[in-house]
Parts: sequence; C-alpha cells; structure tokens
Amino acid sequence: MGNAAMTVPATVRHLHVGPDFHAEQHIHPEPTSFLAKYIFSFDHKVIAKQFLWYGLFFLAMGGVMAMMIRWQIAYPGTAFPVLGQLMWPQSGGVMPPQSYAAFFTMHGTLMIFFAITPILIGAFGNLLIPLMIGARDMAFPTLNLLSFWTNVLAGLCMVVSFFVPMGAAAGGWQSYPTLSTLVGSPGHGQTLWVLGVFLTGSASIMGAVNYITTVVRLRAPGMGYFQMPLSVWGIWLTAILNALFVPVLAAGVLLLFLDRVFGSHFFLAGAAITKGGGDPVLYQHLFWIFGHPEVYILILPAWGIVSDLLSFFSRKPAFGYKATALSMSVICLLSMVVYGHHMFVVGMSPLLSQGFMTLTMLISIPSAVFFLNWLGTMWRGSIRFATPMLFSVGVVFVFGLGGLTGLHLGAISSDIYLHDSYFVIGHFHLTMAASVLLGAFAAIYFWFPKMFGKMMNETLGKWHFWLTIVPITVVFCGMLVVGYAGMQRRLYNYQAYDFLKHLHPINVWVTRAALLLGASQFLFVANFLSSMISGKKATENPWEVGTLEWTIPSPPPHHNYDEIPVVLHGPHEFNNPAVTGKDWLAQDEPIGDEPR
Amino acid sequence: MSVAAAGFPATEESRRTSFVGMVMALASWTMLFVALFFSYAVLRLNAATWPPDGLAPLPKALPLLNTLVLLLSSCVLHRGTRPDAEEKPGALRRALLFTMLLGGLFLALQLAVWIPLWQHGFRIDNTGTYGSIFYGLTVFHALHVLAGLLALAVLLPGASAGRYASGRSSAVRSSAMFWHFVDVVWVVMFVAVYLV
Repeated sequence: MGNAAMTVPATVRHLHVGPDFHAEQHIHPEPTSFLAKYIFSFDHKVIAKQFLWYGLFFLAMGGVMAMMIRWQIAYPGTAFPVLGQLMWPQSGGVMPPQSYAAFFTMHGTLMIFFAITPILIGAFGNLLIPLMIGARDMAFPTLNLLSFWTNVLAGLCMVVSFFVPMGAAAGGWQSYPTLSTLVGSPGHGQTLWVLGVFLTGSASIMGAVNYITTVVRLRAPGMGYFQMPLSVWGIWLTAILNALFVPVLAAGVLLLFLDRVFGSHFFLAGAAITKGGGDPVLYQHLFWIFGHPEVYILILPAWGIVSDLLSFFSRKPAFGYKATALSMSVICLLSMVVYGHHMFVVGMSPLLSQGFMTLTMLISIPSAVFFLNWLGTMWRGSIRFATPMLFSVGVVFVFGLGGLTGLHLGAISSDIYLHDSYFVIGHFHLTMAASVLLGAFAAIYFWFPKMFGKMMNETLGKWHFWLTIVPITVVFCGMLVVGYAGMQRRLYNYQAYDFLKHLHPINVWVTRAALLLGASQFLFVANFLSSMISGKKATENPWEVGTLEWTIPSPPPHHNYDEIPVVLHGPHEFNNPAVTGKDWLAQDEPIGDEPR
Repeated sequence: MSVAAAGFPATEESRRTSFVGMVMALASWTMLFVALFFSYAVLRLNAATWPPDGLAPLPKALPLLNTLVLLLSSCVLHRGTRPDAEEKPGALRRALLFTMLLGGLFLALQLAVWIPLWQHGFRIDNTGTYGSIFYGLTVFHALHVLAGLLALAVLLPGASAGRYASGRSSAVRSSAMFWHFVDVVWVVMFVAVYLV
C-alpha cells in the first residue's frame, strides 16, 4: 500500500489555475418552470435521469418480448398467459410465426439501441462524466438535450412500427438484405426500423461528440487522463468508438432506406432486378464494421464501472490501474479491425478470414490483462459485499464465461459449425446482455444515492442479485449447450427437426429460468420505486470512496461544484498510510499540510 | 439569461472547447462518407464493367465547373474568416453573401446535371448500382451543401450587426469548418464518381 501515495502527481502541487478556467463554466441559475426543469432540461443530471427512465421502459418491453420468445420455444402452440390473449386473440393467444420473427428482431433492436445504450451510455455517461471529472455540466448542454429528444423520436419510430400493417421489422436485428429489402419485408415496419436506427444513431453521435469533448476539455485542474476514474475511461472510449463507427451503420441503413423508398439497387441482386445488380453482402460489411465496435461500445462502460466498484468495495487501489486503462484502449483499437469474424461463413477470401481470426485472437491479450487486474484488485482486499459489489462480481463471473466462449467463435474452424446456432446467442448474451445488465444494476445501486438522494434497500437488493445471477447463468449457459448440440437460432418450432427433439428438457429449463429471471426483476422495480419515495436519506459519501462526485451533496446542486475542485490524487486512494482515521481519501483532499 | 454568462465574452477556453467538439463531429461525418465511398468501391469492384450494362458514362463538363465553383466558395469564405479580416468592417458579411451565392450556384448546377439525365430515363430505380451510386452520393452531398448554406445564413444577421467583429467567434469558425468539409467531400466525390 505504501506506493499508493506515489500516485499523487508532482506537477499538481505547482498547478496554476487561471481565471479563464472558471470563467468558462458559468454557474447558471436553476430553471424554475416544470418544462425547463424536467422535460427540456439542459442539466446533465436531469438528462441522465430521463435516459434512465427511457432505457428502463425499453428494458421492460424487450424483456417481456424475450419471455414470449422463450415461451414459444418451450411450450409451442400454447397461449402465453394473459398477454397472449390480448395480443393474438385470433389464434387463441398463441404467438404466430410472423410475430415470433418480429419479436426476436425487435427484442434485439430495443435491448441494444434503446435499453443498454440509454442506460449505460445515456444515463451513466451523462451523470458520471461531469461529476467525476469535476465539471459543472457537459461541454454542450444544448446538444445533450437534442441527443435525448432525437432518441425519443427514434424510440417512437420503433414503437409505432408494431402497429402498422404487416407489423414490425422481422428480418433479425441486423436487418440483412434480402430479408430487409422490399422483396423480403414489404411493410412499413422495416422502413420505420431503418428510420429509427438512423435517428438513434444520430443521437448517439451527438452524445459521443459531447462526451469526448467534455472529457478532453473540462477535466478539473490536476485531473490528468490517468487520474480519471476508470468509469470515465470506459465511457470515454465508448464515446470515441460511437463517434467513429455509428456513422458506418448510418451509411448502411441510409443505403437500405434509398433501396426501400427510392428503388435504388445497392443491396438488390438476382431475379429481383434487371440491370446492374447490387450486393447484399455489402450491407453485412457495413453492418459489422459498425457491429463489432458496437459490442465494445456496449460493454466498455460496464467494464469501467466494474473496475472502479471492485476497487471501492475491496478497499484497495485498483490493481494495475494504468494497465486496465491501456488494455481497454488497445481493445478499442483492435475492435476496429476484427469485424470479419462475424462473416466467416459468407465466403470471404480465406486469407482475409485468417487475418480476421488472428486479430480477433489478439483481443484475448488485453482482455486477460484487465480481467486479471480485476481479480488482483479483489485479492486480499477487505471486501464489503454490498449490493453494487455483488453485481460487480457477477459481471466478472458472467463476463469470464462470455469471454471464453468467444474464442470458439473467433476461430474459423469451430465458428463454421457454431455459426447461427444458439451457442452464438448464449455467447453474446453472456457478454452483451448479462455482463452489461449486471453492470447497469451495479451502477444503479451504487449511484442511486447520488442521483436521488436516497439509499436503496440492501436486503431487497441482495435478493434481487441472487435471483438474477442464478437464472441468468442457467439461461445463457443452457443456450450454449443446445447450440453446441446443433440447435439453430431463430427457429419458430425447433421440434419440427427430429435431431433437435431430445433437447427439449434443456430448453424447458432455460425457459423456466428465464421466467424466474423476468419475475425477479419486480424486486428491482419495487426497490427502485419505494426507495425513491421513502428510502433512507443518503449522506454525501455513503460508500466512503474518494471520487469527486462523493465530495458534494446527494443529490448535487444544480451546478454540481460551487468551486471547481483541484485534483490531487488518483481515484482509488485507499489505505494511504499518511491518512489517519479513515481508509479513503477524496481526490481533491490534501494530506496533512500538503499545499493545494 | 444568466448574470454570469452575460458578463463574459466567449473566452479562449470555450473557443477551444467548440473547436474540439467540431473536430470530433467532422471526424464522425468523415466516417459516414468513408463508409459511402467504401460501398461504392465494393459495388464497383464487383461489377464486370463500369459503367455496367452498356449505360452511358456521366457528363463531366458541368460537374467540373461545379467543382471550381465550390472550391472558389471555400477560398472566399476562408478570406472572409481569416483573423486579419477582422480589421475590415463588413468583410465577413461580404464573404458570407458571396459564399452563399456560390453555394446556391452549385446547387443550381447540380439540378442542371440531374434533371436532363432523369428526363432521358437515367433514373435511380432503373440504372442498377451505377445510378444508385450517382444519385445516392450526389444528392446526399447536396443536402449537406444545403445544411451548410443554412449554417452560413444563420450567421448573416450577426455579421451585418458586426457581432463577430473580433474574428474569434466559435460560430463563425465552426460553420466555416463545416463548409470546407463539405467542399473537400465534393472534390473526392467528383474524382470518384465522375472521373475515374
């Protein structure tokens, strides 16, 4: 622990804070009207809450759809309780095949773009960046407001698409042509999907430009990049990937839009046209050039948050802080050049495939670095098993599973067998869904006091954790097993295939676990709502940690910091031998007679 | 609105913040056009001949003229927004007006390229990937020119009132950066779509 004191950068002691720095971040008076305060707010903390509610709404919606999909798999031909009768009275409550296809398509779309992205990037990006770097708000508050409301417009497109003739998009969440062209999906649902994705992409880019600029420009004096909490690192790297790769998706769906609405031929081929055919595989390239960075876009905030929380609750500085930050950065770079591993079965040149495989395997190295750092952080720590810590350890566990199963899909020989099977579904849900969701819960339990000024109930939180981690593991590991046994994804009734019939017991158990998982989320909803109304009042620093947001009241005042703090230490300054009476040190807290 | 905000002119700090933001936004935009050019490259490399299926090649003369128009507009705007332009009253306003005029001319000439082609049956929906690329890329670019024109138009009242006289306004610089960006994209597009 002795070297913890060395993280204090020597230059900080002589830091001169010019008047310009404070002049830039004016203190604006708090708005008083309801509209300005809660609806069209420029305040990053309010926008964070808006994104949180928005994301939780779609999380519930996507979750219910997942339950219905699982119900159809385990109990085909039987009515889904209650909701089934309401939605499909003509079939006696049984989900028809077209709805099944629309549901797995929209489940993926909603969860990725409208649940995970708003919660982790929209809500926690907005909340944490200014608070953790000691800023009064985002660099561009108007852009922030615009980003949220553009996202709402996108969400509306998606919700409305369920109610147009022929229903919502049903060509899979990637919307590959030819399934997504007018030939495969003639209805307006797919067009609305394209519009919605374009709009939510624009919103993501607005947010990303804002986040990057805020981190680059508005860090409090003394806060170098390596004094930033790892949460900020994760969100910042995510923003960089968002800014650079969401435009590629935007280009892909733009061309799809032109094909659908103006009759162009970018992705049309074969009998569909008479002259100069396009290339459906082009869309796959565009989609995955974006799509692979996207999986890191989703997971990086969770990695960062977990890296911080593991340190906070182990009461130890993050093991290998710099190595964690740098390995996350290296993963960002590598993520830009591995997308081909999603297309091994498309028929690329073998040389190209092998290049992509090699680059993919390289990602294991930085991943192993930060994963071992997580374990090193906990090693021999004085661990406090509060709910946020439980969820963080949960992330370590499910991400370990997800990461290891990724190797089978990154290697060409095993991927060709496993491609489009439930093994893929199990793998990416463990990484993108389970890890990210558990990370989001860790973040909500941890920062709820700062957001709402109240503590969440610990007992309910712990029940919620155990009733989440057990079924979530069963669900996605079950999927790995049936996928390995050869069960393809997206089958409406897999029992039509003789060779899959013997998998029925596993599928039933996966569905039971999924239903339990869904049901146990009511514990979270109850805890969230009741704590907000009648939770124990939160102190300034209930978790006894040192990052800047815990040096100001809970919830923080409108302008966050009366005076911009001067940062003296790293974010995980635990057990500094020079500090007596407590085991943590705030980032802007001088030790003894240390000059400020 | 705020007491504090009214007291301060845009400081050098917030000017730099705007600059970083604009650079990131343009980096993002660059990736959008890179992806579109990538799509063009893939489709073209897959085609046996280009233009495919006996289609007539696109005209070159008007687009070349248009390239010069847009390049000239960037030069004019750059002269009007240079730091030494701040000494001369009305220089910015004149530059904005002249740039917008050239931008308008560019759009008019684009129409002069599109309309005859369309009338002669070269439409987006009957010319395969060749027409898709041509209309998709050039029209999407023209929408950006339109957006650039709007961004410049928003500056006009302030420029007329001499509000940006210090020559250090982030709004002026950001709009000019966007205009130059759209210009550079066009030069690449002209070479890629019409010449090679």
